[in-house]
Amino acid sequence: MQTNVDHIATSHVGSLPRPDGLLAAYHALEAGEPLKEQVFRQTLRDAVAAVVRRQHDIGIDIPGDGEFGKPMGQRVQYGSWWRYSWQRLGGLQINDTPGAYDTAPRRSAPGAIVLTTFADRRDRSRFAEAYADPDSGITTGPRPPAPVCVGPITYTGHDAVQADIANFKAAMQAAGVTQGFMSAVAPGSASRIGNTYYKTVEELLYACADAMREEYKAIVEAGLDLQIDDPAIAENWDMVNPEPSVEDYRTFAMQRVAALNHAIRGLPPERIRFHLCWGSWHGPHMTDIPMRDIVGVMLAIDAGAYSFEAGNVRHEHEWKVWQDVKLPGGKLILPGVVSHATNVVEHPELVAERVLRFARVVGRERVIASTDCGLGGRVHPQIAWAKLEALVQGAALASKDLWR
Amino acid sequence: MLYSTDRILTTHAGSLPRPPDVRDMVAARANGAPYDAAMYEERLRSAVAEVVRRQVDCGIDCVNDGELSKTNFTDYVRWRIAGYEQRPSSGERRLSITARDQRRFPGYFEANPRRWSLGPPTMPVCVEALRYVGQADLARDLANFRAALAGFSVAAAFLPANTPGTIEHWMLNEYYKDDEAFVFAIADVMHEEYQAIVDAGFLLQIDDPDLPDGWNCLPDITLPEYRRYAAMRVEALNHALRGIPKEKVRLHVCWGSHHGPHHDDIPLQDIVDLIFRVNAGSFSIEASNPCHEHEWRVFETVKLPEGATLIPGVVGHCTDFIEHSDLVAERLVRYANLVGRENVLAGTDCGLGTRVGHPSVCWAKFEAMAEGARRASRVLWGRG
Repeated sequence: MQTNVDHIATSHVGSLPRPDGLLAAYHALEAGEPLKEQVFRQTLRDAVAAVVRRQHDIGIDIPGDGEFGKPMGQRVQYGSWWRYSWQRLGGLQINDTPGAYDTAPRRSAPGAIVLTTFADRRDRSRFAEAYADPDSGITTGPRPPAPVCVGPITYTGHDAVQADIANFKAAMQAAGVTQGFMSAVAPGSASRIGNTYYKTVEELLYACADAMREEYKAIVEAGLDLQIDDPAIAENWDMVNPEPSVEDYRTFAMQRVAALNHAIRGLPPERIRFHLCWGSWHGPHMTDIPMRDIVGVMLAIDAGAYSFEAGNVRHEHEWKVWQDVKLPGGKLILPGVVSHATNVVEHPELVAERVLRFARVVGRERVIASTDCGLGGRVHPQIAWAKLEALVQGAALASKDLWR
Repeated sequence: MLYSTDRILTTHAGSLPRPPDVRDMVAARANGAPYDAAMYEERLRSAVAEVVRRQVDCGIDCVNDGELSKTNFTDYVRWRIAGYEQRPSSGERRLSITARDQRRFPGYFEANPRRWSLGPPTMPVCVEALRYVGQADLARDLANFRAALAGFSVAAAFLPANTPGTIEHWMLNEYYKDDEAFVFAIADVMHEEYQAIVDAGFLLQIDDPDLPDGWNCLPDITLPEYRRYAAMRVEALNHALRGIPKEKVRLHVCWGSHHGPHHDDIPLQDIVDLIFRVNAGSFSIEASNPCHEHEWRVFETVKLPEGATLIPGVVGHCTDFIEHSDLVAERLVRYANLVGRENVLAGTDCGLGTRVGHPSVCWAKFEAMAEGARRASRVLWGRG
């Protein structure tokens, strides 16, 4: 990733709306319906080509492949960014063992943090009726059965990631794009599954790290920027019940950071961007950990750039954190300046205002305008694209101000 | 006149969550379905008392009755005026607040029919001189609210009422000679309601989404044409407000509270002078959603009318994420620095009642707003 020379660069967090044909193809695969391999591959290739061109056409400087190679069979889908790993890791099995939603809640104690179940999250508990109400709008789409680790974790996704890379690079070349990013799930987030094989959570975590390293290497070696998706670093806070001390939580999160750093050891940091978020569902998010408490943990990750939510009402005020926290030399930030949290499309002048705030604190060279989280699966396709256009327009307004 | 003399006061735009049993009885009554009238009256009274207490508990300084007796902020007028008949409609809304967005985002609206809804099967058509017939309903609302306030010491209490321009969105006219005559006739009728609310000692909140969202209803109109359209409706509103001291009136404008893209909302800058033409002492505007958040800068150049206060929305209905109190404080401080701290009250973009995902989200937003106002007050009054 390069520093900005004459304008604020634009990118986004990854997931983009899948075209109907691709949704239908994945849906058919999920349902076990026969689908010609060749037809599916062509559908996917065409879709990636089109989505890269569209990003380029609207002015996104650093496009992605839309995460189209990560299965998504429904238009509303919040989980494909990590569920795809279930198909790329060996040692997993979908069996009768209760999954991460269905086991009994687990309680943490001072100095002894454990993740509780997804269902027992603190925001979910505090707003239980709102989360349970199908009309509340908090729903996150269908939840497929989750796997359990029953044997040694291995990476089995070599062909899949190479196919993604080939599709993306062909699309980039066709669109005349030289820089692009591809996302991959971090060990901390991939390891939030049931486990009957490894003796400790840490063993499972490092097994995921060793396996996912294969994918990270493949992406970097292909000349693409690697985006590591690890909401677990911030989002686990809500999954520790009762609320832990910040100190205990940082220690816990640093174990995940150590595993991630182990997984990306030796890879060039300037080719890695890290994505932090607090979970992209449309709930109240009252129990999100403040950025101030977690920023040091994030900056301990051996990445060259950091992407984080800053465009929603829970985290918009946290630009001020950067007045006190020094961004290490040579590193960049990708604050979210448009968001999945609302259908209302951000006004370009608001986008510009948000970008300017960050640029004035960390320097105009070091801000890439981005999204809070992937927009695909989280807002309607037409709204997702309108938000990306607003992002580009707002970044241009800010650039005019910063390089006048 | 209510000012934030020693701290930023809090209020909201009106609608609050209905208890399910009250909601069901209000709907039954509106639809002509059977319901227990005595139980309705009793339950409405107790529910208004509960909702006032809830606002006070959340830290709201200027409270209302939550609009609990109303089907919604404008539709309720159907039971308070006479001179129209219900006729089968084509299923299209006469004036749809999503008309402009629907052009650019047809796929979104097709995928989310719940979020824009076709018009009702019948529509009111004005066929004779309009007259106000809502005296009994209004008297009951006033009495319930007055009783609910007993024992509480609130900074102020307000009741909302709808405007001619918004009523015109859903009532057709076959009786008056033109739009202007029709809108002024509605104004004459609504005057009675406005006057009664003020006479009862409450602040009158005028709900006028039409002033901005008429722009969305008329997708082909040009800005000069729209300003003429809106100016006439402001005149009609002032006609309805005649004789009422402006310090008793607060005007709420919004751009239509649907959860759509709002991509082509009219900029505040283009209509702010028309808004300030309304004979009100206080102005409530959307300011916390991403289409309008940047418009605080309008007040770098535009002055509030002499003696007026501003109620920017600092929490909103457009997301179920709860605004962080530091964000609320940041927003309030921005406004206070431009228009003076005593002239700013913390408010909501629109009524949160039926517009956020769940009642618990509404109350959490109120608490976040009250805490944000305390934080802003500490900054603005230099108390550590």
